[in-house]
Amino acid sequence: MSVSSDRVDIEIDKKQICQYIGYNDDHHLSARISSLIDDYSKHAHQLINPLYSYVIRKVEWARGTMALVEGSIIFKSWVVVQLLEQCQQVAIFVVTIGKYLEDTAAQLARDGLILQATVLDAIGSNAVEKVAEHAQGKIGQIAESKGLVISRRFSPGYCDWNIGQQRMIFAALTGNTVGVRLTGECLMIPQKSISGIIGIGPPDGNVERYNPCSFCEKQDCPGRR
Amino acid sequence: MSEDIIGLIRENVIQGRITKDDEGMEEGMVGQPGVSELLDSALAAGLPIRDIITKGLSGGMDVVGQKFEAGEYFIPDMLASAEAVGAAMEVLQPRLASSGIDSKGTIIVATVKDDLHDIGKNIVSILLRGAGYIVKDLGNNIDTQVIVDAVRKDKPQVLGLSALLTSTMARMGDVIQALEESGLRDQVKVIVGGAPVSEEFARSIGADGYGADGFQAVAVVETLASGTQS
Repeated sequence: MSVSSDRVDIEIDKKQICQYIGYNDDHHLSARISSLIDDYSKHAHQLINPLYSYVIRKVEWARGTMALVEGSIIFKSWVVVQLLEQCQQVAIFVVTIGKYLEDTAAQLARDGLILQATVLDAIGSNAVEKVAEHAQGKIGQIAESKGLVISRRFSPGYCDWNIGQQRMIFAALTGNTVGVRLTGECLMIPQKSISGIIGIGPPDGNVERYNPCSFCEKQDCPGRR
Repeated sequence: MSEDIIGLIRENVIQGRITKDDEGMEEGMVGQPGVSELLDSALAAGLPIRDIITKGLSGGMDVVGQKFEAGEYFIPDMLASAEAVGAAMEVLQPRLASSGIDSKGTIIVATVKDDLHDIGKNIVSILLRGAGYIVKDLGNNIDTQVIVDAVRKDKPQVLGLSALLTSTMARMGDVIQALEESGLRDQVKVIVGGAPVSEEFARSIGADGYGADGFQAVAVVETLASGTQS
Protein backbone atom coordinates (compact mmCIF):
# COMPACT_ATOMS: atom_id res chain seq x y z
CA MET A 1 0.00 0.00 0.00
CA SER A 2 3.00 2.32 -0.38
CA VAL A 3 2.60 5.55 -2.34
CA SER A 4 4.53 5.69 -5.65
CA SER A 5 5.58 8.93 -7.28
CA ASP A 6 7.72 9.90 -10.26
CA ARG A 7 8.55 12.60 -12.80
CA VAL A 8 7.57 12.11 -16.43
CA ASP A 9 8.42 13.60 -19.84
CA ILE A 10 5.42 14.71 -21.87
CA GLU A 11 4.65 15.89 -25.40
CA ILE A 12 2.37 18.91 -25.92
CA ASP A 13 -0.43 18.26 -28.43
CA LYS A 14 -1.04 21.36 -30.61
CA LYS A 15 -4.34 20.05 -31.97
CA GLN A 16 -5.75 19.62 -28.46
CA ILE A 17 -4.55 23.09 -27.46
CA CYS A 18 -6.44 24.53 -30.43
CA GLN A 19 -9.59 22.79 -29.16
CA TYR A 20 -9.06 24.14 -25.62
CA ILE A 21 -8.85 27.73 -26.85
CA GLY A 22 -12.00 27.44 -28.94
CA TYR A 23 -11.16 26.19 -32.44
CA ASN A 24 -13.02 23.32 -33.99
CA ASP A 25 -11.21 20.50 -35.80
CA ASP A 26 -11.45 21.71 -39.38
CA HIS A 27 -10.74 25.41 -38.80
CA HIS A 28 -7.79 26.96 -40.59
CA LEU A 29 -5.52 28.24 -37.83
CA SER A 30 -4.33 31.82 -38.32
CA ALA A 31 -0.58 32.37 -38.65
CA ARG A 32 -0.70 34.65 -35.59
CA ILE A 33 -2.23 32.04 -33.29
CA SER A 34 -0.25 29.17 -34.80
CA SER A 35 3.09 30.89 -34.20
CA LEU A 36 1.98 31.88 -30.69
CA ILE A 37 1.16 28.26 -29.79
CA ASP A 38 4.48 27.05 -31.28
CA ASP A 39 6.53 29.68 -29.43
CA TYR A 40 4.86 29.09 -26.07
CA SER A 41 4.91 25.29 -26.44
CA LYS A 42 8.66 25.48 -27.06
CA HIS A 43 9.23 27.39 -23.83
CA ALA A 44 6.58 25.58 -21.77
CA HIS A 45 8.93 22.71 -20.92
CA GLN A 46 11.00 25.14 -18.87
CA LEU A 47 7.88 26.13 -16.94
CA ILE A 48 6.53 22.70 -16.05
CA ASN A 49 7.60 20.03 -13.60
CA PRO A 50 5.38 17.03 -14.44
CA LEU A 51 4.95 14.84 -11.35
CA TYR A 52 2.52 12.16 -10.32
CA SER A 53 1.77 10.17 -7.20
CA TYR A 54 -0.60 7.26 -6.64
CA VAL A 55 -1.49 4.54 -4.19
CA ILE A 56 -3.44 1.33 -4.86
CA ARG A 57 -5.79 0.29 -2.08
CA LYS A 58 -8.28 -2.51 -1.52
CA VAL A 59 -11.98 -1.72 -1.82
CA GLU A 60 -13.48 -3.01 1.44
CA TRP A 61 -17.11 -2.52 0.42
CA ALA A 62 -19.31 -0.27 -1.68
CA ARG A 63 -23.06 0.11 -1.48
CA GLY A 64 -25.71 2.80 -1.65
CA THR A 65 -23.87 6.11 -1.70
CA MET A 66 -20.82 5.06 0.29
CA ALA A 67 -17.64 3.08 -0.30
CA LEU A 68 -15.04 2.09 2.28
CA VAL A 69 -11.48 1.77 1.05
CA GLU A 70 -8.53 0.25 2.91
CA GLY A 71 -7.06 2.74 5.39
CA SER A 72 -10.44 4.13 6.59
CA ILE A 73 -10.91 6.11 3.37
CA ILE A 74 -14.62 6.80 2.82
CA PHE A 75 -15.94 7.96 -0.54
CA LYS A 76 -19.49 9.34 -0.51
CA SER A 77 -21.03 9.30 -3.98
CA TRP A 78 -23.58 7.09 -5.70
CA VAL A 79 -21.71 7.49 -8.98
CA VAL A 80 -18.43 6.36 -7.36
CA VAL A 81 -20.16 3.38 -5.76
CA GLN A 82 -21.39 2.28 -9.22
CA LEU A 83 -17.70 1.86 -10.12
CA LEU A 84 -16.22 0.56 -6.88
CA GLU A 85 -18.82 -2.18 -6.39
CA GLN A 86 -17.29 -3.71 -9.56
CA CYS A 87 -13.70 -3.32 -8.30
CA GLN A 88 -11.31 -5.20 -6.03
CA GLN A 89 -8.91 -2.29 -5.79
CA VAL A 90 -8.83 1.44 -6.46
CA ALA A 91 -5.89 3.61 -7.49
CA ILE A 92 -5.96 7.05 -5.86
CA PHE A 93 -3.80 9.62 -7.59
CA VAL A 94 -2.72 13.23 -7.92
CA VAL A 95 -0.71 14.69 -10.80
CA THR A 96 0.63 18.18 -11.39
CA ILE A 97 2.87 20.30 -13.59
CA GLY A 98 3.84 22.63 -10.73
CA LYS A 99 3.13 26.32 -10.32
CA TYR A 100 5.54 28.17 -12.63
CA LEU A 101 3.44 27.94 -15.77
CA GLU A 102 0.29 29.26 -14.10
CA ASP A 103 2.26 32.00 -12.35
CA THR A 104 3.63 33.06 -15.74
CA ALA A 105 0.15 32.98 -17.31
CA ALA A 106 -1.18 35.11 -14.44
CA GLN A 107 1.62 37.63 -14.95
CA LEU A 108 0.87 37.80 -18.69
CA ALA A 109 -2.79 38.47 -17.87
CA ARG A 110 -1.81 41.21 -15.40
CA ASP A 111 0.28 42.74 -18.19
CA GLY A 112 -2.80 42.80 -20.42
CA LEU A 113 -1.58 39.98 -22.68
CA ILE A 114 -4.77 37.95 -22.38
CA LEU A 115 -4.36 36.03 -25.63
CA GLN A 116 -0.89 34.92 -24.60
CA ALA A 117 -2.14 34.04 -21.09
CA THR A 118 -5.01 32.02 -22.59
CA VAL A 119 -2.67 30.10 -24.90
CA LEU A 120 -0.21 29.37 -22.08
CA ASP A 121 -3.06 28.29 -19.80
CA ALA A 122 -4.29 25.89 -22.50
CA ILE A 123 -0.77 24.46 -22.88
CA GLY A 124 -0.76 23.89 -19.11
CA SER A 125 -4.16 22.16 -19.25
CA ASN A 126 -2.89 19.90 -22.01
CA ALA A 127 0.34 19.17 -20.14
CA VAL A 128 -1.38 18.16 -16.90
CA GLU A 129 -3.81 16.00 -18.88
CA LYS A 130 -0.80 14.24 -20.44
CA VAL A 131 0.69 13.60 -16.98
CA ALA A 132 -2.64 12.10 -15.88
CA GLU A 133 -2.67 9.89 -18.99
CA HIS A 134 0.84 8.73 -18.18
CA ALA A 135 -0.08 7.90 -14.58
CA GLN A 136 -3.18 6.08 -15.84
CA GLY A 137 -0.98 4.03 -18.21
CA LYS A 138 1.35 3.14 -15.35
CA ILE A 139 -1.58 2.02 -13.17
CA GLY A 140 -2.96 0.07 -16.17
CA GLN A 141 0.34 -1.84 -16.48
CA ILE A 142 0.23 -2.80 -12.81
CA ALA A 143 -3.38 -3.97 -13.14
CA GLU A 144 -2.59 -5.94 -16.31
CA SER A 145 0.28 -7.75 -14.59
CA LYS A 146 -2.31 -9.12 -12.14
CA GLY A 147 -4.81 -10.06 -14.86
CA LEU A 148 -7.02 -7.06 -14.02
CA VAL A 149 -8.20 -3.99 -15.96
CA ILE A 150 -8.68 -0.33 -15.10
CA SER A 151 -11.56 2.13 -15.47
CA ARG A 152 -11.58 5.74 -16.67
CA ARG A 153 -10.42 8.41 -14.28
CA PHE A 154 -13.00 10.12 -12.09
CA SER A 155 -12.45 13.20 -9.92
CA PRO A 156 -14.19 14.89 -6.98
CA GLY A 157 -16.25 17.90 -8.06
CA TYR A 158 -17.98 16.05 -10.91
CA CYS A 159 -21.50 14.53 -10.90
CA ASP A 160 -22.59 13.87 -7.30
CA TRP A 161 -19.05 13.56 -5.93
CA ASN A 162 -18.60 16.57 -3.69
CA ILE A 163 -15.35 18.49 -4.14
CA GLY A 164 -14.89 18.32 -0.36
CA GLN A 165 -13.98 14.67 -0.88
CA GLN A 166 -10.61 15.87 -2.15
CA ARG A 167 -9.63 15.59 1.50
CA MET A 168 -10.08 11.79 1.34
CA ILE A 169 -7.96 11.59 -1.83
CA PHE A 170 -5.19 13.55 -0.13
CA ALA A 171 -5.52 11.54 3.11
CA ALA A 172 -5.08 8.33 1.10
CA LEU A 173 -1.83 9.66 -0.37
CA THR A 174 -0.47 10.11 3.18
CA GLY A 175 1.32 13.37 2.48
CA ASN A 176 3.01 12.31 -0.78
CA THR A 177 1.06 14.72 -2.94
CA VAL A 178 3.99 15.91 -5.12
CA GLY A 179 3.69 19.44 -3.76
CA VAL A 180 -0.04 19.80 -4.39
CA ARG A 181 -2.09 21.22 -1.51
CA LEU A 182 -5.76 21.99 -0.92
CA THR A 183 -7.33 25.36 -0.20
CA GLY A 184 -10.12 25.69 2.36
CA GLU A 185 -12.56 25.22 -0.53
CA CYS A 186 -10.69 22.04 -1.61
CA LEU A 187 -9.27 23.57 -4.79
CA MET A 188 -5.80 22.33 -5.65
CA ILE A 189 -2.73 24.54 -5.63
CA PRO A 190 -1.05 24.48 -8.15
CA GLN A 191 -4.27 24.74 -10.16
CA LYS A 192 -2.79 22.73 -13.02
CA SER A 193 -3.22 19.50 -11.06
CA ILE A 194 -5.64 16.58 -11.39
CA SER A 195 -6.68 14.23 -8.60
CA GLY A 196 -9.05 11.31 -8.57
CA ILE A 197 -9.55 7.58 -8.63
CA ILE A 198 -9.21 4.75 -11.14
CA GLY A 199 -11.07 1.52 -10.48
CA ILE A 200 -9.21 -1.82 -10.80
CA GLY A 201 -11.25 -4.96 -11.34
CA PRO A 202 -11.81 -8.14 -13.33
CA PRO A 203 -11.76 -8.08 -17.16
CA ASP A 204 -15.49 -8.78 -17.46
CA GLY A 205 -16.21 -5.51 -19.28
CA ASN A 206 -17.97 -3.69 -16.44
CA VAL A 207 -14.94 -1.79 -15.14
CA GLU A 208 -13.65 -0.80 -18.59
CA ARG A 209 -17.13 0.30 -19.71
CA TYR A 210 -17.73 2.43 -16.62
CA ASN A 211 -18.74 5.96 -17.56
CA PRO A 212 -19.77 8.20 -14.65
CA CYS A 213 -21.77 10.40 -17.05
CA SER A 214 -24.20 7.55 -17.73
CA PHE A 215 -25.27 7.74 -14.06
CA CYS A 216 -25.46 11.53 -13.94
CA GLU A 217 -28.51 13.65 -14.76
CA LYS A 218 -26.60 16.84 -15.60
CA GLN A 219 -27.20 16.75 -19.36
CA ASP A 220 -25.74 20.23 -19.88
CA CYS A 221 -22.46 19.49 -18.04
CA PRO A 222 -19.52 20.79 -20.11
CA GLY A 223 -17.45 17.78 -19.00
CA ARG A 224 -20.03 15.22 -20.19
CA ARG A 225 -18.43 12.20 -21.90
CA MET B 1 -2.46 59.72 -46.71
CA SER B 2 -4.52 60.05 -43.50
CA GLU B 3 -7.16 57.69 -44.91
CA ASP B 4 -4.33 55.29 -45.73
CA ILE B 5 -3.02 55.20 -42.16
CA ILE B 6 -6.48 54.83 -40.66
CA GLY B 7 -7.30 52.14 -43.23
CA LEU B 8 -4.12 50.31 -42.24
CA ILE B 9 -5.03 50.58 -38.55
CA ARG B 10 -8.42 49.08 -39.38
CA GLU B 11 -6.80 46.30 -41.41
CA ASN B 12 -4.30 45.47 -38.67
CA VAL B 13 -7.07 45.33 -36.05
CA ILE B 14 -8.76 42.78 -38.33
CA GLN B 15 -5.43 40.93 -38.57
CA GLY B 16 -5.01 41.05 -34.77
CA ARG B 17 -1.52 42.57 -35.01
CA ILE B 18 -0.29 44.83 -32.21
CA THR B 19 3.30 45.35 -33.36
CA LYS B 20 5.44 44.79 -36.45
CA ASP B 21 6.76 41.56 -34.88
CA ASP B 22 3.31 39.90 -34.94
CA GLU B 23 2.02 37.53 -37.58
CA GLY B 24 -1.45 38.23 -38.98
CA MET B 25 -4.26 35.91 -39.97
CA GLU B 26 -2.12 34.84 -42.94
CA GLU B 27 1.66 34.34 -42.94
CA GLY B 28 4.15 36.91 -44.18
CA MET B 29 3.08 40.02 -42.25
CA VAL B 30 6.01 40.13 -39.82
CA GLY B 31 7.97 43.33 -40.34
CA GLN B 32 5.04 45.40 -41.56
CA PRO B 33 3.84 48.04 -39.07
CA GLY B 34 1.19 46.87 -36.60
CA VAL B 35 -1.47 48.90 -34.79
CA SER B 36 1.06 50.41 -32.31
CA GLU B 37 3.43 51.71 -34.99
CA LEU B 38 0.55 52.92 -37.17
CA LEU B 39 -1.00 54.71 -34.19
CA ASP B 40 2.31 56.52 -33.59
CA SER B 41 2.30 57.60 -37.25
CA ALA B 42 -1.32 58.72 -37.07
CA LEU B 43 -0.69 60.83 -33.95
CA ALA B 44 2.52 62.28 -35.42
CA ALA B 45 0.53 63.24 -38.53
CA GLY B 46 -2.06 64.94 -36.31
CA LEU B 47 -4.95 62.81 -37.52
CA PRO B 48 -8.21 63.33 -35.61
CA ILE B 49 -8.45 60.92 -32.64
CA ARG B 50 -12.17 60.52 -33.31
CA ASP B 51 -11.38 59.14 -36.79
CA ILE B 52 -8.66 56.86 -35.47
CA ILE B 53 -11.14 55.38 -33.00
CA THR B 54 -14.32 55.22 -35.07
CA LYS B 55 -12.96 54.43 -38.53
CA GLY B 56 -9.77 52.60 -37.54
CA LEU B 57 -10.24 50.74 -34.25
CA SER B 58 -14.03 50.38 -34.00
CA GLY B 59 -14.29 49.94 -37.78
CA GLY B 60 -11.86 47.03 -37.55
CA MET B 61 -13.64 45.45 -34.58
CA ASP B 62 -16.98 45.67 -36.42
CA VAL B 63 -15.51 43.53 -39.21
CA VAL B 64 -14.01 41.13 -36.66
CA GLY B 65 -17.43 40.77 -35.01
CA GLN B 66 -19.00 39.99 -38.38
CA LYS B 67 -16.31 37.42 -39.13
CA PHE B 68 -16.89 35.82 -35.73
CA GLU B 69 -20.63 35.60 -36.34
CA ALA B 70 -19.98 34.11 -39.77
CA GLY B 71 -17.76 31.42 -38.21
CA GLU B 72 -14.62 32.71 -39.93
CA TYR B 73 -13.04 33.89 -36.67
CA PHE B 74 -12.80 32.03 -33.39
CA ILE B 75 -12.29 33.26 -29.82
CA PRO B 76 -8.46 33.57 -30.04
CA ASP B 77 -8.79 35.61 -33.27
CA MET B 78 -11.21 37.95 -31.51
CA LEU B 79 -8.85 38.21 -28.53
CA ALA B 80 -5.93 39.13 -30.81
CA SER B 81 -7.97 41.93 -32.37
CA ALA B 82 -9.39 43.13 -29.05
CA GLU B 83 -5.89 43.16 -27.59
CA ALA B 84 -4.68 45.36 -30.46
CA VAL B 85 -7.56 47.78 -29.84
CA GLY B 86 -6.93 47.67 -26.08
CA ALA B 87 -3.26 48.55 -26.59
CA ALA B 88 -4.21 51.47 -28.84
CA MET B 89 -6.88 52.73 -26.42
CA GLU B 90 -4.35 52.75 -23.58
CA VAL B 91 -2.31 55.26 -25.59
CA LEU B 92 -5.36 57.27 -26.64
CA GLN B 93 -7.20 57.31 -23.29
CA PRO B 94 -5.36 60.34 -21.81
CA ARG B 95 -6.06 62.35 -25.00
CA LEU B 96 -9.81 61.66 -25.17
CA ALA B 97 -10.97 64.55 -22.97
CA SER B 98 -8.87 67.16 -24.80
CA SER B 99 -10.25 65.82 -28.08
CA GLY B 100 -13.83 66.30 -26.89
CA ILE B 101 -14.52 62.56 -26.86
CA ASP B 102 -16.41 61.06 -23.93
CA SER B 103 -14.97 57.89 -22.45
CA LYS B 104 -17.35 54.96 -22.71
CA GLY B 105 -16.91 54.51 -18.98
CA THR B 106 -15.26 52.34 -16.37
CA ILE B 107 -16.00 48.67 -15.69
CA ILE B 108 -14.69 46.78 -12.65
CA VAL B 109 -14.30 43.01 -12.95
CA ALA B 110 -13.39 40.45 -10.30
CA THR B 111 -13.54 36.74 -9.54
CA VAL B 112 -15.18 36.31 -6.14
CA LYS B 113 -13.59 35.15 -2.87
CA ASP B 114 -12.29 31.54 -2.70
CA ASP B 115 -12.42 31.13 -6.49
CA LEU B 116 -9.05 31.06 -8.24
CA HIS B 117 -10.24 30.90 -11.84
CA ASP B 118 -9.63 33.93 -13.99
CA ILE B 119 -9.33 33.00 -17.66
CA GLY B 120 -13.02 33.71 -18.38
CA LYS B 121 -12.84 37.02 -16.54
CA ASN B 122 -9.66 37.93 -18.41
CA ILE B 123 -11.33 37.26 -21.76
CA VAL B 124 -14.26 39.49 -20.83
CA SER B 125 -11.80 42.18 -19.69
CA ILE B 126 -9.92 42.30 -22.96
CA LEU B 127 -13.12 42.25 -25.03
CA LEU B 128 -14.41 45.20 -22.97
CA ARG B 129 -11.12 47.06 -23.51
CA GLY B 130 -11.47 46.29 -27.19
CA ALA B 131 -14.95 47.83 -27.05
CA GLY B 132 -13.44 51.04 -25.64
CA TYR B 133 -14.07 50.79 -21.90
CA ILE B 134 -11.59 51.46 -19.11
CA VAL B 135 -11.40 48.13 -17.30
CA LYS B 136 -10.16 47.75 -13.73
CA ASP B 137 -9.47 44.08 -13.13
CA LEU B 138 -9.26 43.36 -9.39
CA GLY B 139 -8.07 39.77 -9.98
CA ASN B 140 -9.32 36.49 -8.53
CA ASN B 141 -10.15 35.33 -4.98
CA ILE B 142 -11.24 38.89 -4.12
CA ASP B 143 -12.84 39.71 -0.78
CA THR B 144 -16.35 41.12 -0.93
CA GLN B 145 -15.24 44.21 0.98
CA VAL B 146 -12.39 44.88 -1.49
CA ILE B 147 -14.92 44.83 -4.35
CA VAL B 148 -17.28 47.18 -2.47
CA ASP B 149 -14.39 49.55 -1.69
CA ALA B 150 -13.34 49.57 -5.37
CA VAL B 151 -16.90 50.41 -6.46
CA ARG B 152 -17.00 53.26 -3.94
CA LYS B 153 -13.61 54.62 -5.10
CA ASP B 154 -13.77 54.17 -8.90
CA LYS B 155 -17.53 54.63 -9.44
CA PRO B 156 -17.81 52.19 -12.37
CA GLN B 157 -20.91 52.04 -14.53
CA VAL B 158 -20.86 48.26 -14.36
CA LEU B 159 -19.39 45.67 -11.99
CA GLY B 160 -18.68 42.25 -13.54
CA LEU B 161 -18.46 39.28 -11.17
CA SER B 162 -17.16 35.86 -12.15
CA ALA B 163 -17.23 32.43 -10.46
CA LEU B 164 -16.45 29.00 -11.88
CA LEU B 165 -17.54 26.86 -8.96
CA THR B 166 -20.95 25.99 -7.57
CA SER B 167 -19.36 26.39 -4.14
CA THR B 168 -18.33 30.02 -4.79
CA MET B 169 -21.10 31.37 -7.04
CA ALA B 170 -23.17 32.32 -3.99
CA ARG B 171 -20.46 34.89 -3.12
CA MET B 172 -21.75 36.97 -6.05
CA GLY B 173 -25.01 37.36 -4.13
CA ASP B 174 -22.98 38.36 -1.05
CA VAL B 175 -21.34 41.16 -3.07
CA ILE B 176 -24.71 42.49 -4.25
CA GLN B 177 -26.00 42.35 -0.68
CA ALA B 178 -22.89 44.21 0.56
CA LEU B 179 -23.38 46.89 -2.13
CA GLU B 180 -26.94 47.37 -0.90
CA GLU B 181 -25.84 47.62 2.73
CA SER B 182 -23.18 50.17 1.73
CA GLY B 183 -25.72 52.31 -0.11
CA LEU B 184 -23.91 51.78 -3.43
CA ARG B 185 -26.30 49.41 -5.20
CA ASP B 186 -28.17 52.17 -7.05
CA GLN B 187 -24.93 53.59 -8.44
CA VAL B 188 -23.67 50.50 -10.26
CA LYS B 189 -25.12 47.81 -12.49
CA VAL B 190 -23.98 44.27 -11.76
CA ILE B 191 -23.43 41.59 -14.39
CA VAL B 192 -22.48 38.01 -13.46
CA GLY B 193 -21.01 35.10 -15.39
CA GLY B 194 -19.10 31.82 -15.14
CA ALA B 195 -19.66 28.17 -16.00
CA PRO B 196 -22.24 27.30 -13.29
CA VAL B 197 -24.08 30.64 -13.53
CA SER B 198 -27.42 30.94 -15.34
CA GLU B 199 -29.88 33.69 -16.20
CA GLU B 200 -32.17 32.32 -13.52
CA PHE B 201 -29.39 32.37 -10.89
CA ALA B 202 -28.48 35.94 -11.88
CA ARG B 203 -32.08 37.03 -11.32
CA SER B 204 -32.29 35.16 -8.02
CA ILE B 205 -29.36 37.09 -6.51
CA GLY B 206 -30.57 40.44 -7.84
CA ALA B 207 -27.99 40.94 -10.60
CA ASP B 208 -28.86 43.31 -13.47
CA GLY B 209 -27.46 41.10 -16.20
CA TYR B 210 -25.91 37.78 -17.13
CA GLY B 211 -23.35 36.94 -19.80
CA ALA B 212 -23.31 33.34 -21.05
CA ASP B 213 -20.00 34.04 -22.78
CA GLY B 214 -17.56 36.90 -23.30
CA PHE B 215 -19.34 38.37 -26.30
CA GLN B 216 -22.75 38.29 -24.67
CA ALA B 217 -21.17 39.86 -21.59
CA VAL B 218 -19.90 42.79 -23.68
CA ALA B 219 -23.33 43.23 -25.30
CA VAL B 220 -25.03 43.25 -21.89
CA VAL B 221 -22.46 45.72 -20.53
CA GLU B 222 -23.08 48.01 -23.52
CA THR B 223 -26.80 48.03 -22.68
CA LEU B 224 -26.31 48.47 -18.94
CA ALA B 225 -23.60 51.14 -19.27
CA SER B 226 -25.66 53.22 -21.68
CA GLY B 227 -28.52 53.09 -19.19
CA THR B 228 -26.34 54.47 -16.40
CA GLN B 229 -24.81 57.36 -18.31
CA SER B 230 -26.22 60.71 -17.29
